[in-house]
Amino acid sequence: MGTRERRERSDASDRELADLFHGALAVSEISDRQIALAAVGGFGRGELAPGSDLDIVFIHVGLPENQLSAFIKAMLNPLWSVGRAVDYSIRTRAETKAVSRGDIKVILGLLDIRHIQGNEDLTVNVSMDANKQWRRRIRTYLPMLRETIDQRTRTSGELAFLLEPDLKEARGGLRDITTIRSLAKSEFIPVALDRLAASESLFANVRDSLHGVTRRTRDQLLLTEQDAVAADMGFGDADALMLELSKAARAVDYVMQLVWHRIDERLHRISRRKDKRIPVAKGLERFRNEIGVIAEYDIAADSGIGLRAAAMAAQRGVRLSLESTIRIAEGFKEISTPWPRQSREDLVALIGAGESMVDVFESLDQEGLIARWIPEWAHVRFLPQRNVLHHHTVDRHMLETAVHAAALTRQVHRPDLLLVAALFHDIGKGYVDQEHSEFGAELMLPLAKRLGFSDDDATTLAQMVTHHLLLPTVATRRDLDDPQTIEYVMSLVASAELLELLHALSIADGEATGRTAWTGWKAGLVETLVKRTLAAMQGIAPAPQPELTPEQLAKAAKNKLTVEIFDRGDVFDIEIVAPDRLGLLSAISAVFTVTRLDVRSAKTRTVDRVAVMNWIVSTDVNVQMPSHDGLVDLIERALVGTEDLQVRIDERIRSYRRRPGIPVPPPVVSAITQIVTDATIIEVRMHDRPALLHTVTTAISEFGVDIRGAIVSTLGAEAFDTLYVTDLNGAPLTNDHAHELAAKLEIILTSQD
Amino acid sequence: MKLITAIIKPFKLDDVKNALNAFGITGMTVSEAMGFGRTRGHTEVYRGAEYTIDLIPKIRLEVVVDSADADKVIDVIVKAASTGAIGDGKVWSVPVDHIVRVRTGERGVDAI
Repeated sequence: MGTRERRERSDASDRELADLFHGALAVSEISDRQIALAAVGGFGRGELAPGSDLDIVFIHVGLPENQLSAFIKAMLNPLWSVGRAVDYSIRTRAETKAVSRGDIKVILGLLDIRHIQGNEDLTVNVSMDANKQWRRRIRTYLPMLRETIDQRTRTSGELAFLLEPDLKEARGGLRDITTIRSLAKSEFIPVALDRLAASESLFANVRDSLHGVTRRTRDQLLLTEQDAVAADMGFGDADALMLELSKAARAVDYVMQLVWHRIDERLHRISRRKDKRIPVAKGLERFRNEIGVIAEYDIAADSGIGLRAAAMAAQRGVRLSLESTIRIAEGFKEISTPWPRQSREDLVALIGAGESMVDVFESLDQEGLIARWIPEWAHVRFLPQRNVLHHHTVDRHMLETAVHAAALTRQVHRPDLLLVAALFHDIGKGYVDQEHSEFGAELMLPLAKRLGFSDDDATTLAQMVTHHLLLPTVATRRDLDDPQTIEYVMSLVASAELLELLHALSIADGEATGRTAWTGWKAGLVETLVKRTLAAMQGIAPAPQPELTPEQLAKAAKNKLTVEIFDRGDVFDIEIVAPDRLGLLSAISAVFTVTRLDVRSAKTRTVDRVAVMNWIVSTDVNVQMPSHDGLVDLIERALVGTEDLQVRIDERIRSYRRRPGIPVPPPVVSAITQIVTDATIIEVRMHDRPALLHTVTTAISEFGVDIRGAIVSTLGAEAFDTLYVTDLNGAPLTNDHAHELAAKLEIILTSQD
Repeated sequence: MKLITAIIKPFKLDDVKNALNAFGITGMTVSEAMGFGRTRGHTEVYRGAEYTIDLIPKIRLEVVVDSADADKVIDVIVKAASTGAIGDGKVWSVPVDHIVRVRTGERGVDAI
């Protein structure tokens, strides 16, 4: 097998076709000056795999229909009768030119045209026309080409991450190599073709071997054939073969990305469009629909820049600029251990961005950034898995699980833990003699602590990895009517919060694996198990209202407005004590919105008509922390209502208005009234956005209820707010009143989303 | 030859599989199934008038055996699948005319 065999096969087909050609000329009374036979596509390049179609064209000088049909019959019938697959077209030079103008497949095939028999001038002319047309009209062809590549990726997936890849059609495969060669021929941009050689010969050889082993022309390398192909080609085992294929495909894909990047650059330069560079966060800008690092920004001094850029790009549903990714890798600065809060949140926001995360994550990984941040990742990179249920390599499966988990963030109290566990749930795969869930948990615990999660959260994450298969296994193998089954689950899953997280993780994992692994049948069983276990655990208790320290109580006793600002490095901690009134929280959050301070978390509690609030805020890239006196002044004005804040807030929200970003699950608002407490609990879960807290608290105040306390948290790009409300007499709301409030709030938040 | 079909509770699959293995039967077809018999799942009132019947998840297990073994195999399955509670399932058999092993072309009892 190899290039020589493919060449010989092509030569033999040439001779066979040449004989038939002359025979057909005689039968149809056509002279060899009037017609030419040429090969196109792979056959045109003189390479023929064992079972490939013969792609040929006949170019004629304008012969009548009846002569042509007699010719074709005589030429091709002998081939068809022995079952040879022939793909042919028959046209004049002018017809060829016209067709190739609007058909990307035709023009691409003609770029590789090779004369076989007949009037060579005809072939040469068509070849010249095609090359000229390709160069001249390249800007018309490029969108068509891009569309066919996207289409192909959608249907055939990515070679590097598929367990049963199509060597020809999948992204990074043989057809992509041909495409890159065609782009090189356009001379529109320079292309490093030498970087493709090794991949091309590997793919072609594997394909030949596959065709030989299966005696078929199919290009998809199925699990059942991988052992035979690996043995045939002298690989140690199928995993070694698949790993090499993954690497080769990744190399091709990388060249492809570079090529398109250069094309885009050139297209933009030519169109002389005025592209504005819009600063979007510290050190970052949006430029030509990509997120990039500002040119003069000192990357080496900022360890958080990479994840910040990634989170920003993924959450906006745009790409990370290639140059910036390379710059970040070159100026790489290690993130301190444990990670600061901002980097951890950026990681969570990246993972939680759904589909758009995959591209961003891949580009980081391509530059080696993921493995530098998270060394455990290097081991699962391209790791094949011999499992009939799975479609993807281990790393891609985990990314897909995170994509599915992003849609389930409203179902859990800790979306950040769900997303992180989804991304790492199979991190223990591929180690000899290690059970992957157990070993994965051993890796997860220190990893989570490095990422800056608290000890409790790290333990939860490790438990999620340990038990990520527990619910589906128990649900399908144990009697759900048996109380012992429920007890067994409760013995392993200590809390309702963990159970809720495991349930969402099971769904995401199952959905990412494929339809055979996650059927409605299995989902139903798992849900029944979870419901029964949750009932036995008596559900999830909502968080109690924040406790106040003696110092805070002392401040509250003075019953006057005080503001203290503490600088905590990447965030500010602001403590505000203020006499309570209806709409207090709404007024304070308005002040933050206007001063462009982003609320990351907050705890507030009202005792004896005085509110004590702790706010953790970060500053917008374009503003500085306001002075203490300035802030006090603004709050005072907001409280007495002299400032027309609503107008300024509306302005603020308008200026923040996001471009179409990524699809996110709708907001969920629930009221909890059963728990005995002095207030009704309203839980709001939704995607974070500017002035969210202000919107929520204003709506609640307008409903004529008082907010007694609040716990506000931002987990990556997800907001989770718990509000403790009472009626104006200080009593909990009635059941109906509470649910009405929750429903109304959900409508308001959904309509603005 | 007989085709024996059993509808059993999902968690009983391992027990039934082990019992059949012990009896000397190694091949079987297993599929996920939904359905209800006398238990009818849960009946729920939905928007006043309508009601839905939840389909209960079950396992459908099929095995082809020599006619002489059929009764014994049915007994083995019933014994292994029984919990004594409602919804344990059903087992039935039907005659099979032809059976061919695809790989070798063997026919009849040899192909089981």
